[in-house]
Amino acid sequence: MMNNILEVKNLSKEYNDFELKNVSFELPKGMILGFIGENGAGKTTTIKSILNIVNDYTGEINVFGMNNRKNDKAVKEDIGIVLDDMFFPEILNPTDINVIMKDIYVNWDSKLYFKYLKEFSLPTNKQIKAFSKGMRKKLEIATALSHHPKLLILDEPTSGLDPVARNEVIDIFQDFIQNEECSILLSSHITTDLEHIADYIVFINKGEILLSKTRDELLEEYGIVKCTETEFKKINDSDLIRYRKSKYEYEVLVENKKEFNKKYSINTIDKITLEDLMVMMIKGVK
Amino acid sequence: MKGLIKKDFLLVKSNIKVLVILFIVIGFMSFTFNGEMNISFVLPFMSVVIMLSTFSYDAYNKWDAYVTALPDGRKNSIKSKYIATIILLFMIAIGVSIITAISTYIKDNTLDFGAILEMVLVMLSTTIIMQSIMYPVIYKFGLEKARIGIFVGAFGLGFLASLISKYVDFKPIIQHLDMLNNYLTFILPIVTIILLYISYKISEKVYKNKEF
Repeated sequence: MMNNILEVKNLSKEYNDFELKNVSFELPKGMILGFIGENGAGKTTTIKSILNIVNDYTGEINVFGMNNRKNDKAVKEDIGIVLDDMFFPEILNPTDINVIMKDIYVNWDSKLYFKYLKEFSLPTNKQIKAFSKGMRKKLEIATALSHHPKLLILDEPTSGLDPVARNEVIDIFQDFIQNEECSILLSSHITTDLEHIADYIVFINKGEILLSKTRDELLEEYGIVKCTETEFKKINDSDLIRYRKSKYEYEVLVENKKEFNKKYSINTIDKITLEDLMVMMIKGVK
Repeated sequence: MKGLIKKDFLLVKSNIKVLVILFIVIGFMSFTFNGEMNISFVLPFMSVVIMLSTFSYDAYNKWDAYVTALPDGRKNSIKSKYIATIILLFMIAIGVSIITAISTYIKDNTLDFGAILEMVLVMLSTTIIMQSIMYPVIYKFGLEKARIGIFVGAFGLGFLASLISKYVDFKPIIQHLDMLNNYLTFILPIVTIILLYISYKISEKVYKNKEF
């Protein structure tokens, strides 16, 4: 029985100024995977590879247990997409989108689509160009959900949204995941959203996966130790992941804060947020 | 694919007012010129302008990347664009034929369907050939670069032709072409269909390997 809805194995892709290096991760059924990294880290390239928007990559990608290249149509029938800044021409309106999409997806559900539009308070006959950024995102999400997909691939779905709209959108994703056969791959650099909903976190930087763990593992086990220079010098290299030196103290990212505490008796270990983790991993010294 | 064809027509629909006004103006012009004005130029002009506008809307919202992520999107995107072009061309051709027929009937009280058909057929073929050259260039280089390329290409060809005409005597060639004129109604559609097919295949190949 297939447990993973998505498997990315050794995905590599070269551009003139950027390279995706052996990216591997898995997304089990019924889970939300938060794909984090700063802008230009390789999140969109990975997503584009999964969807075959880019071609020339090596490695293997399986969706619903099928190779994404050999089963392009079958795979895409069950994927809902929200891509960063890519959508329908904006002189169209939501009703036009329904007219188009019902001939594109076999399982397109017009009733469901208009139900979402109503739920999101979106006008049906107004051109997309007249929509606010939040309305536009909601329309993209409604479009992504209306063919009963099993996998949602969302590239920066909350960027540019105000906190209320972000909350609404996150609620929608949580509703979607109630069906345990469905999963979400959610790429974002707004890490606070992922702290609330993601089950797994995959962290990519400069085209390489730096971390791939469950959210609970990351948030409960990782920590930031604040210590003096004397204390810092006593820490073995193998016990720290990254460190940063500020004017008065050292900040040290550690993997197992309980073990660390036992070993070094340094009590100032802060709970980590995904944002702290990202900043430490990118800006910290190895 | 039906959905993608509909998309292009929905894009055209948003400009429908402009099209209707244009048709009314052209109809009016053909009457005021007492039926002597050949309005067949409308066919290539409208078709190119309208279809280029669909490319432009697509490019602005990165539609090509989005459509590639839809089921069979990469495969059907090119096919639908070519089919939409042909359907649109025939729609404009019918409009032009009706206006021409009415204006000549009012002027001469006669209707020469053969002449109208021949005129429309020639313009239809010319337009398809023009668009057959444009589309692969647009798919390869993008709309903005293609626009410059098409302009430079047309200018370059004109310049080359005027340069050659200085040194080559075209009279015998033109005489031969005059002979061909008798067979134009047969030859032109065949040449057009072949060029259209080649253009489609090139565009398809370009798009198949294109990354967005």
